[in-house]
Amino acid sequence: MQEKKIRNFSIIAHIDHGKSTLADRILEYTGAVSKRELKDQMLDSMDIERERGITIKLNTVKLKYNYHNEDYILNLIDTPGHVDFSYEVSRSLAACEGAVLVVDAAQGIEAQTLANLYLALENDLKIIPVINKIDLPNADIPKVKKELEDVLGFKEEEIILCSGKTGEGVKDLLDAIVERIPEPIVNEEGRVKALIYDSYFDSYKGVVLLIKVVDGIIRVKDKIKMMATNKTFEVTELGVKTPKEELVDSLSSGEVGFLVAAIKDISSVHVGDTITLSGKEADAPLDGYKPMKPMVYSGIYPIESNKYEALKDALNKLKLNDASLVFEPVTSEALGFGFHTGFLGLLHSEIITTRLEREFNLDIVVTSPTVVYIAYLTSGEEVVIDNPNKMPTREKISKITEPYIYTNIIAPSSYVGSIMELCQNKRGIYKAIDYINDTRVNIHYEIPLAEVVYDFYDKLKSRTNGYASFDYDLIGYKGSDLVKMDILLNGERVDALSMIIHKDFAYAKGRWTCEKLRSVIPRQMFQVSIQASIGSKIIARENISAMRKNVLAKCYGGDVSRKRKLLEAQKEGKKRMKMVGRVEVPAEAFLSILGSDEND
Amino acid sequence: MNTSSVYIHIPFCKSICSYCDFCKVLYNSEWVQVYLKKLYSEIKENYMGENIRTIYIGGGTPSALSLREIEYLLRMTDLFHKDYLEEFTFECNIEDITEELLLLLKRYGVNRLSIGIESFDLDNLKLMNRSLNYEDVKAKINLARRLGFNNINLDLIYALPHEKMKTLKNDLKCLLSLKVEHISTYSLMIEDNTYLSYQKVHSIPEELDEEMYFYISHILEKYGYVHYEVSNFAIPGFESKHNLVYWHNEEYYGFGCGASGYIGGVRYDNTRSLSNYLKGDIRLNTELITKEDIMEYEVILGLRLLKGINIRKFYEKFGVNIQDAFNIKPLLKTKELIYEEGHLKINPDYIYVMNEILRKLV
Repeated sequence: MQEKKIRNFSIIAHIDHGKSTLADRILEYTGAVSKRELKDQMLDSMDIERERGITIKLNTVKLKYNYHNEDYILNLIDTPGHVDFSYEVSRSLAACEGAVLVVDAAQGIEAQTLANLYLALENDLKIIPVINKIDLPNADIPKVKKELEDVLGFKEEEIILCSGKTGEGVKDLLDAIVERIPEPIVNEEGRVKALIYDSYFDSYKGVVLLIKVVDGIIRVKDKIKMMATNKTFEVTELGVKTPKEELVDSLSSGEVGFLVAAIKDISSVHVGDTITLSGKEADAPLDGYKPMKPMVYSGIYPIESNKYEALKDALNKLKLNDASLVFEPVTSEALGFGFHTGFLGLLHSEIITTRLEREFNLDIVVTSPTVVYIAYLTSGEEVVIDNPNKMPTREKISKITEPYIYTNIIAPSSYVGSIMELCQNKRGIYKAIDYINDTRVNIHYEIPLAEVVYDFYDKLKSRTNGYASFDYDLIGYKGSDLVKMDILLNGERVDALSMIIHKDFAYAKGRWTCEKLRSVIPRQMFQVSIQASIGSKIIARENISAMRKNVLAKCYGGDVSRKRKLLEAQKEGKKRMKMVGRVEVPAEAFLSILGSDEND
Repeated sequence: MNTSSVYIHIPFCKSICSYCDFCKVLYNSEWVQVYLKKLYSEIKENYMGENIRTIYIGGGTPSALSLREIEYLLRMTDLFHKDYLEEFTFECNIEDITEELLLLLKRYGVNRLSIGIESFDLDNLKLMNRSLNYEDVKAKINLARRLGFNNINLDLIYALPHEKMKTLKNDLKCLLSLKVEHISTYSLMIEDNTYLSYQKVHSIPEELDEEMYFYISHILEKYGYVHYEVSNFAIPGFESKHNLVYWHNEEYYGFGCGASGYIGGVRYDNTRSLSNYLKGDIRLNTELITKEDIMEYEVILGLRLLKGINIRKFYEKFGVNIQDAFNIKPLLKTKELIYEEGHLKINPDYIYVMNEILRKLV
């Protein structure tokens, strides 16, 4: 049997530490793509990824590398950097034996550097620490080296210096990958076990699975079986990405690649499931990974009610490679039929809604996100509240709890005061400050997740001129004095605008919300009153006076069609409106109340 | 024999009003020469020989042309069959009105003058980049009366930035004292690409604008004018026949740069670029109108008339009841639309927000 010279690895980094650029350089160095073919950030295939400079969906590339006159296969499995997507990181890490930890030579260790490193260590991966961007004029290599040694416990000689921009150090890195990362444990003789670590939908091929073969060999025309769903399929295509797709006859133990099997039914595939051969089943599946639980819920509704099926179809397709996306049908009096949708965080929700709009051309209304509360009733019952409208009345509740997080906020020490103030405003409980070195700190607070999902990260960035980085761990539930605030338009409760909020903040939030709605809801033919209430008590009120003028006075030179065009334009604008009773509410209104009442 | 109407656009002005976004350039005699020749050939090539019931020469400022040019223009209208001509309007600026001009117009059958007054208030005039004074206006109108013009329209613009009710009341007082047969009033719209829009001026509050509108309507009706269309008032019998052609969704020719027309079931717009027009590149676009479109226009235009749409005539024209062609029930329920004397009309209380109603209807 021939010896397998394979290395499966990921690159992990804090956002903006140059992971994708470094990956580009690796692709170029190993000849996977020529300079001419190289678009910036090859691995980021979605428009939205390139635009935002972030990686959301993972991609895998098979690279050839000659080390000491021997050919090696390096499988680079890309990972996202953002905190919301740590589940994606863990998925890709499950398919690897090693990871390259990239740290920016000017920035040093950041919150997600830590978070990603811990994930990699949990997966027993060999870590190669890399200081990247050493070409930057403000690079401070000795300082970052010291951080890697003192905070993360690496030895100086382990650290590789690199520049994704100039390509300096890329060869050292590739050599280190071959030398240090263990080759996958190969067992071609055993019964087939392959991990599905990702999947996506291709309109021609059906579901495409990204797999790592752990034991045995999978060949084209094999009958495979999904161990969780017991569904069987015949393999029609196997391949690898170099990064162009290249078809192969088989994938064997230790290799990663993609598998096509004319799978049309999305529900028969679970990411994390194990593939085996039908008739020659393995006795037990591989350890998958727990799908992450959604932390934040929003309602998603089509603006045009006849697009409900299209929305359902789109969500199903997105779910295919995003196990963390959950949704169930929901009906709102204000917004009609839609889906109550769970996300890992606010960025995740933004990404999903943007993809629904762009890739599926859907006009949607997204309601304000809410976390999952647990209410303990006087009757002894326990109620999970993932939608404000599920909140029992106040008399029935003996206690409400909400999820709390424990923060890692890494920032220059000069910002400590400002960050602490922000955390206090967000109902944070001070825990500790760790010193990374003389100038940088890691600030730990316990903060209700609900306070973080809106705008905490933006506020943190603006207060620290972008120098702070943020990551968190969920630490469980704690009791809080929470109330449900309703919004009424002309006396009619708008279910999609209800929110759960801490009692001390309710009055200010109520006033702010009413003002905000007054500014986004256009004048109507009649006066509109906007009220915020807790139970039957009105805590804030605003009025929108009736529209007084909407007429085209002059008709120049018989230009009658101009009138009609203007009318059509006005009509088009109103399409993005939802009727709440008699009031036309623009889709934006449901999101406008997301902001906060603070001025900074 | 079919009848039709004619609009002719003269895109030349001696000065440019700050609010105007319509097709116009500063007067230049060389261009006028070429323009009139092009206009002549456009008419020759397109006119199909119908009896013409109304002619309207507008602009721009038709009176900005020299008498010789105006005569050439008026002679051009002899191309039309005018045996059944009922109304022939010529737009003038007050300073251009002279005895010679009026006699010339009369000789060619012009029987209606439309004069852009816009305001008598000095601040308003300055803001609009216009000038006139009341005494001069009065003298020119008296002159026109003496020469036999018994159908005169004056234009008024209100709701200018900073304008107060007091200013409007005074403007109306002046207008009423002139005892003309027809008054058109327009609330100022600050259009893109006008001098005003670059001045960063702001519209007055909607509430005041609406108050002014209903005040105008109230005072003019008190003095015997009928509020017959959103922006138009007339002594009974002097409603503009030409404008009624538009509101009744009837066909008309539009000739000249920037003009629009509706002929043989096609709506068209001419280019607004003078250089294109002079090059002979006249049509900007044409829209073939389906039956549904015609019905929609019928409603959009007909509801501008305070009297509304004649239900029986609608049925005769389209073979379908208006209440079956459009979803009017909810609007009747909210009393935004009402039936009266065989007509479907907008509730007068809502006439100033009629776009809102039309939008729900079409």
